[in-house]
Amino acid sequence: MSKKLIVLFLGLVPLLCTCFSPDTPSDRRVLVLLDDFAIKSSHSIFFNNLKSRGFDLDFKLADDPTISLQRYGQYLYDALILFSPTIERFGGSIDAAAILDFVDSGHDLIVAANSNASDLIREIATECGVDFDEDSSALVIDHSGYAVSATEGDHTLIASDDFIKSDVILGSEKIKAPVLFQGIGHSLNPSNSLVLKVLSASPSAYSANPKSKLTSPPSLTGTSMSLVSVVQARNNARILISGSLSMFSNRFFRSDVQKAGSPTKHDKSGNEQFVTELSKWVFHERGHLKAVNVKHHKVGEVDEPAIYRINDDLEYSVEIYEWSGKTWEPYVANDVQVQFYMMSPYVLKTLSTDNKGYYFTAFKVPDVYGVFQFKVEYERLGYTSLSLSKQIPVRPFRHNEYERFIPAAYPYYGAAFSMMAGFFIFTAVHLYHK
Amino acid sequence: MAFVRAPSPFLLVLVLALSISAAITATTTVPQPISDHHRSAALNLFAPSHGSFPSLQDAYEALRVFEILGIEEKHRVSTDTCKVVLENLSSLSSSLKDLFYALKVNGILKCKVNGEVFEGIASRLNASISDASPLPDLYYSIGGLVLIKDQDSNVDVLLADATGTFQSIKAQSQSDGKWRYSSDKTESSAYAAGLAFEALAGVISLASSEIDQSKVNTVKHDILKLFGSIEKNDDGSFYFDGETVGGHEHQDSLSTTSSVVRGVTAFAAAVSGEINLPGDKTLGLAKFLLGIGVPGDAKDFFNQVESLAFLESKRQVPIQVNLLFKFVLQQYFFSFCFLFFSANVTLDLSWCRVTIPLILSLPETVYSLTTKGQLKVRVSTALGSAAPPLVVKLVRAFSSGAKDSSIIESKELQYDKRSGLHVLDGFTNNVDVGTYVFVFEIVLHDSHSKQVYATGGQIHMPIYVTGIIAVSNAEIGVLGDLGSVQTKKALDLAGNDVVSFSANHLQKLRFSFQLATPHGHVFKPHQAILKFRHEIKVEHVFVIGNVGKKFEITLDFLGLVEKLFYLSGKYDIELTVGDAAMENSFIRLLGHVKLDLPEAPEKAAQPPAPPVDPYSRYGPKTEITHLFRTPEKRPPQNLSITFLGLILLPFLGFLIGLLRLGVNLKNFPSSTVPAAFALLFQLSIAAVLLLYVLFWLKLDLFTTLKTLGFLGAFLMFSGHRILSYLASTSTKLKSA
Repeated sequence: MSKKLIVLFLGLVPLLCTCFSPDTPSDRRVLVLLDDFAIKSSHSIFFNNLKSRGFDLDFKLADDPTISLQRYGQYLYDALILFSPTIERFGGSIDAAAILDFVDSGHDLIVAANSNASDLIREIATECGVDFDEDSSALVIDHSGYAVSATEGDHTLIASDDFIKSDVILGSEKIKAPVLFQGIGHSLNPSNSLVLKVLSASPSAYSANPKSKLTSPPSLTGTSMSLVSVVQARNNARILISGSLSMFSNRFFRSDVQKAGSPTKHDKSGNEQFVTELSKWVFHERGHLKAVNVKHHKVGEVDEPAIYRINDDLEYSVEIYEWSGKTWEPYVANDVQVQFYMMSPYVLKTLSTDNKGYYFTAFKVPDVYGVFQFKVEYERLGYTSLSLSKQIPVRPFRHNEYERFIPAAYPYYGAAFSMMAGFFIFTAVHLYHK
Repeated sequence: MAFVRAPSPFLLVLVLALSISAAITATTTVPQPISDHHRSAALNLFAPSHGSFPSLQDAYEALRVFEILGIEEKHRVSTDTCKVVLENLSSLSSSLKDLFYALKVNGILKCKVNGEVFEGIASRLNASISDASPLPDLYYSIGGLVLIKDQDSNVDVLLADATGTFQSIKAQSQSDGKWRYSSDKTESSAYAAGLAFEALAGVISLASSEIDQSKVNTVKHDILKLFGSIEKNDDGSFYFDGETVGGHEHQDSLSTTSSVVRGVTAFAAAVSGEINLPGDKTLGLAKFLLGIGVPGDAKDFFNQVESLAFLESKRQVPIQVNLLFKFVLQQYFFSFCFLFFSANVTLDLSWCRVTIPLILSLPETVYSLTTKGQLKVRVSTALGSAAPPLVVKLVRAFSSGAKDSSIIESKELQYDKRSGLHVLDGFTNNVDVGTYVFVFEIVLHDSHSKQVYATGGQIHMPIYVTGIIAVSNAEIGVLGDLGSVQTKKALDLAGNDVVSFSANHLQKLRFSFQLATPHGHVFKPHQAILKFRHEIKVEHVFVIGNVGKKFEITLDFLGLVEKLFYLSGKYDIELTVGDAAMENSFIRLLGHVKLDLPEAPEKAAQPPAPPVDPYSRYGPKTEITHLFRTPEKRPPQNLSITFLGLILLPFLGFLIGLLRLGVNLKNFPSSTVPAAFALLFQLSIAAVLLLYVLFWLKLDLFTTLKTLGFLGAFLMFSGHRILSYLASTSTKLKSA
């Protein structure tokens, strides 16, 4: 028994070492759930790309009865890829609630649907703030922004280039060619502020069944329809939801693309670049920030005081780094702000930077005493949010710290002292005059 | 028997009716045959790392794929790989699997292996067969012997007890045509069945004496039973489902299917052309294999390409059969085939074969009326090699909306020798824009090919014919509540002009336009949408319907106020017209309408919240600086000093006054003791005053009070003495 335990423990050690941690936030172990193992081969460029970036992919059929996300309360994986759009019921102990718990505990998720998307996949998407078109036969159709093709005539193969403008999500390099998309559209839940459209449909797109006549207005039209969306949860878990599974396929990766109405024909679609960059973001290889060495002290001193007095001059500094997938690189920005906060911000100041990740500023403590906080609430599109707060009390002047010899009061002093001198002379004169 | 050979007219009619309906509902995508995409992908996938392959199996798969696709890569790897092959063949410790693949690689590379080595291996393999070994071992051993037989005819590889071996393999077969891996395993699999068929084929070719025909027939029967469990996709492709058996690794549908194909074709070759499968199944299998596209995995790639190669390999022509009935059965109603077989096992099995599937594909399915293209059809085998002489017939073509009215009926396509395509010229002359289904049929020239190739009967292909749609007579106007036209404007939808209106809830907005195809017919687009967008980004979508030739929509604002959330203000009107067959699909701003709607009642629905703009949400906040309390206003220092001087003036006056009065100190006691007390008294007064000055300058209250207490007591004592003295002297004076 004990021998078994030791073996089990030794087996777990490498697992524990490679798992998700605050020091190395990239995911390592990824569970890939498939409808059919053929997807493993038809989407191999995407999977091989992940493998070459150091991910340990575990391919399982979605209805495999042995799959589980956690064992003994420990998650076995850092991320989950659901390439099983038609699955009605997962095997093993996984269900929609288990997947949402997985995300709630800070793990990442990629969901790809297609026109056969099951209720289960739709439910997971809805929980993430993404509502797929309820009409199960609807596809995204775009008669003005389709990909020109000799064999696809129904304009459901869309060449889309309406990307989110964010270097951190899509990489600093511009996506070179339109992205091929064939699948279902979705809308974003307006009450969910965490979900972002990464690839939106063009104004002329709509979601309908291409085979039947359009009788009622389509539920999703135009740019309000999203093709690919991402969510960054408050716990920094990241989710990618795409209405097209074939967007990740080798066929679309290798395909040439020409958008209708555009004279340029690209030899290679933008899918590979788009999907690769997006997966880098989802798996925390980019846009993951950490703040260290939060320091504050009075000007001219080095040590952090236990309390400030009103009107003190202080200096505040923090170092911010971004995870590059392998190392922590200095984060360069010019919009990091610090707040000196009690109930509401008394001071809100943009920090200066040396462009090496060091952010600093100096300001005067307000003339209000109480318990204040230094707060850095850094939320930028695509970056993990930084929320630092450090409590510090502020006291008023002591009685002996006020100004002592006020020039304006000299007449009063003079009056008192001349009075005292007069008194002394008067006593002498009064007593001894004859 | 008679029933099979001469089917009743009723059954024939039923079969035909079923077949036509089945053909129409079948989905229309037909995969393209293997092309150069495959070749370039193969070069990437099977590129040996540092000139050698990780294992012999990988080497074999790579070489076999290169061989099938006609890629000349052999010489680049042959020396290194041959070395590995020779090592494996000469080593006594190499496993059966390694020997098997070493022999397979040798079959392709023709490494120099001498006969003694073969003899040694042959005896080793022969020895391993005699044991009651599991199926994979038997498969490798028998496969190895067959390979030796092919590579060196001098070596004696014949099986001593072929019938016994045949029996021992056959013993593991199950009633559903699947096989078990060994006698102690309970689960059976189609993958194992594929291995078994290949092994049995090997046994037949290695047998020193003829295997009993009835045994062979039971295996044929097993094959047909196995094909009874085949899965079918909506698009007419057939495959064997993936499976996980016992402790063995999971076999996906591709490897299972390819194992069965390999086994069945090997068996068919071994039993001299008598093994038979309906053409639909082979065509379906080919469709399945081609439907995978270009696999990204080396194993899958090998399975796909090798299976297709096996499906395509030439086999002997089977004996003559009832052609009409075979045709019907093959094309549409294959399951009957099995029904008959299971009903009557002793039936003549020879009228079905493993046929070579012919793939009909269209390089283009979208034709534009403006460019007047030819309809092109390519017929080839799955691997892309040329088809036998044949004619492609366009049976009929109908609009996908109306199945009954054909637009083209039975036309033969011209074969263009240069491009290898079958073309139909000028078909666009009498075809209008729209979505059509073209039904093709492959007619083979000679009866010989008819029995070798599976054509799949009528093949339905979706064809899109696109063209420029004329948009005309666009009008937009506001109507009064009784339908009287109040304002009306003609619009040129091709231009950019916009209109603006104002309307209230008692009025109506009417918009109409006409669409015509190049042939002058009415065109009904899939997408004809009018969109109202309020300033606060609330959108309303209306579908425009057609009345006769005219597309018209009338928006009665009275009925729409609730839908519009009682939002008055400016609305943008946007028109989107689009269709798969319309080359000039457009989206266009028509103009604006300023709506004056009544106030919303209390219980009216609120308009939905506008979506949050992510860019503004995450921007930096405006800076806040604290406003400090301003210090009290003070007079300038000079003024204070001037006032100090003024304050000191009365004191100076007092001193001058005293001098003027001529003060003296003659009353100061002259005797020693009172004089000392007088001096002490004055001194202590001075000390108290000095203490006050010190208090002002530096001392705190506590020190001051302490000192003051001490000084006070002294002051009181000395004061009392001197004052009583002074009092007594003054009373003495008075009394004197």
